[in-house]
Amino acid sequence: MVEHEPIALTPTPDNPLFRQTYELDRSEGAVINQMRATHIEQFPDPLIEVPAEFRRSIFVGSIDALLNWGRKSSVFPLMMGLACCSFEMIASAMSRWDLSRFGMEVFRASPRQADLMIVSGTVTWKMAPVVRRLYDQMAEPRWVISQGVCATSGGPYYESYSVVPGVNKIIPVDVYVPGCPPRPDALIYGIMQLHEKIKRYSLAGRAAGRE
Amino acid sequence: MTDGFLDNAFFRNIYCNLASSGSDRCAGGGPFGDGLLPPGWEWLAFLVTAFVTVFVVVNGALMAVNLYIWGERRLLGRLQGRLGPNRWGPFGLLTPIADLIKVLSKEDIVPAAADRLVYSLAPVLLVVPVLLAFAVIPFGSSTWAANLNVGVLYLIAVLSVESFAPITAAWGSQNRYAMFGGLRAVALLVSYELPLVLSLIGVLMIAGSLSLVDIVNAQDVPFALVQPLGFLVFLIGSVAEIQRAPFDLSEAESELVGGYHTDYSGIRWGLFQAGEFMSTMVSGAIIATVFLSGWRGFDFLPSHAWFFIKFAGVLFVMTWIRATLPRLRIDQITSFAWKGLLPLAAVNLLASAVLSLIWPRPSVGELWAMAAVNVVVAAAAIYVLGQFGPKPGERPRPAVAPALGATGREGAA
Amino acid sequence: MTIVLGGEQVASVIEAITPGSVTGHDSSAAWVRAETWPAVARGLHDRPEADFKFLNSVTGVDYIDHFVIVYHLTSLGHNHSAVIKIRCGEAREDPVVPSAVPVWRGADLQEREVYDLMGIRFEGHPNLKRVMLWEGFPGHPHRKDFLR
Ligand code: SF4
Repeated sequence: MVEHEPIALTPTPDNPLFRQTYELDRSEGAVINQMRATHIEQFPDPLIEVPAEFRRSIFVGSIDALLNWGRKSSVFPLMMGLACCSFEMIASAMSRWDLSRFGMEVFRASPRQADLMIVSGTVTWKMAPVVRRLYDQMAEPRWVISQGVCATSGGPYYESYSVVPGVNKIIPVDVYVPGCPPRPDALIYGIMQLHEKIKRYSLAGRAAGRE
Repeated sequence: MTDGFLDNAFFRNIYCNLASSGSDRCAGGGPFGDGLLPPGWEWLAFLVTAFVTVFVVVNGALMAVNLYIWGERRLLGRLQGRLGPNRWGPFGLLTPIADLIKVLSKEDIVPAAADRLVYSLAPVLLVVPVLLAFAVIPFGSSTWAANLNVGVLYLIAVLSVESFAPITAAWGSQNRYAMFGGLRAVALLVSYELPLVLSLIGVLMIAGSLSLVDIVNAQDVPFALVQPLGFLVFLIGSVAEIQRAPFDLSEAESELVGGYHTDYSGIRWGLFQAGEFMSTMVSGAIIATVFLSGWRGFDFLPSHAWFFIKFAGVLFVMTWIRATLPRLRIDQITSFAWKGLLPLAAVNLLASAVLSLIWPRPSVGELWAMAAVNVVVAAAAIYVLGQFGPKPGERPRPAVAPALGATGREGAA
Repeated sequence: MTIVLGGEQVASVIEAITPGSVTGHDSSAAWVRAETWPAVARGLHDRPEADFKFLNSVTGVDYIDHFVIVYHLTSLGHNHSAVIKIRCGEAREDPVVPSAVPVWRGADLQEREVYDLMGIRFEGHPNLKRVMLWEGFPGHPHRKDFLR
């Protein structure tokens, strides 16, 4: 048996590790508290509005058709999993359900290159600034699917001290997929609904999801 | 020395329809009789034909890359027990087109901290060399944009410009993840450039020429058989050089977000992707040309078909490798290059040098003899090298973290 | 399977290490006085007959009038496990327990979590701050009197 000396650990808060990280934690906590105080109202769902004078325009119409077809046919999801729902998201990309049929197997890790954020699971307040930042980093046009009741409304953790009651308090959501967790079929159905939605966008209308 | 693209009947017809019949390149005029231009204007005919050639080759490459992306995604799907893209267009053929439209219409973000010039230069640095490389590749028995007598040298020179792209992108976007990815990419490219080029030299010694056309003509026996070691090293080296799995650690998603193109969006990122796929195609074309006897084959198919079959075969193998092997660590990759591929390439070089001293202008029989000797050399070299490596089942012992040891805990023992 | 030591056995082992530190035992656990916990932990870790090199988990329980910290220990050498309980915070006032981090490095994050959610202070912990919740969160939510 080796004889041990006790570890020389300085108690809090003289510890350099503590001092280095505490300020960071404080500012992060301030951001979260502020978000919690301000993000009370939910973002309205993005509207699709095509001005009347453009509705009949052949030029805008055909460009729209091409653009929307291209956008709907190659929606690259963001590689972001938050909780248990993300396993269903992963499963939907695997061989049995196979998102790649829609040209969607390209899960991009960088938000700059992704078009679709699948908020897959519980969004805690601690994660909320990160989700918001990832959303802000995504390039237009971008879409959001809220997968599972947690992301939609808080779900099982509704009124919990740490869970955002619905991710639409933080970012505008295009499609909600209910379920706990929703089966991959349900997620794929939600994605197909999103395709339908994308088809109706117009160059002349409002940009998607902006207030 | 041939006439470059004028060797092809199609382009020669265009040229001869324009140039006057008196020109020395097409005596007797084009298929429609006399040329359109008066004598002395051959340069204009040449210029127009050159333009047409470049247009065809560049756009052909860009179209082919769409097809290849589709094929790779379908094949990857199949290899993983999936269907692959099959919704948009017949067999999902329009999926890459949709990607193109989307990428073109996406917002183009330039980070505020980015070095704008360098940032926008990087995708171009990746794509242009690859397109340039297509110039010297013989697609058929007389189809090439240029038949350079320094073809291989040109290829190596042009493709090594491409390796500036990752570090340029990383530096330009001022992003830490991108910087990590870029530095990893540089470490990788520097390591693999050497065995890659060394393994080609054996081929050059046997063929006795740097021109890709001459190399194909010299392959009465495919050089993959005559130079098995060189072929192996070149195949692995070129997979590493284009940074595909298992060598894709410069854009390892699980560690580095997107690697050196983390901060690129929209069409710039699209260019990166297209460039990567196109450099895969260039590598496939080089391997098909240099090691698999290019357009040569049996008479029942045209030469272009033979080239395409070999080319597609190499691409299939590359996709297969990508679908099968997991990603390696950076130290494993570099040590594999320096301790594995470089000695093998050197052995290959030595063997070919000795053999080409014995048979300076090899006939078919001598080529087969060379193949036999080289297969033995390859097997012996790989066996001997295997004796130095880790044994099967052996695992590296992790070093004890010094932080724990320093605190007097037992972990240091 | 790991042999699960009963409370009585654990109590006798601890009593042999530091006499007078055990306040009692039940069928599964031995109860230890908080002040003697560092010495007991050091002994349980080091003594060859105990040899508890592995800390499974640290748990905090709110019994309304007091708190209890539960340590689950395993000896990989002897293949046996033990449960130690420490009572603290009588009448809910400033529950304090000496930290086990100097003995088991693995207690670090777990004790931080107990601190975060239960509000039990671990004396001598090198970096005691919130881990699950954010700095500035009001209160400790797993206490029974926590109201949203
Ligand atoms: S909805 Fe259900 S499955 Fe999805 S994250 Fe919430 S608890 Fe988990």
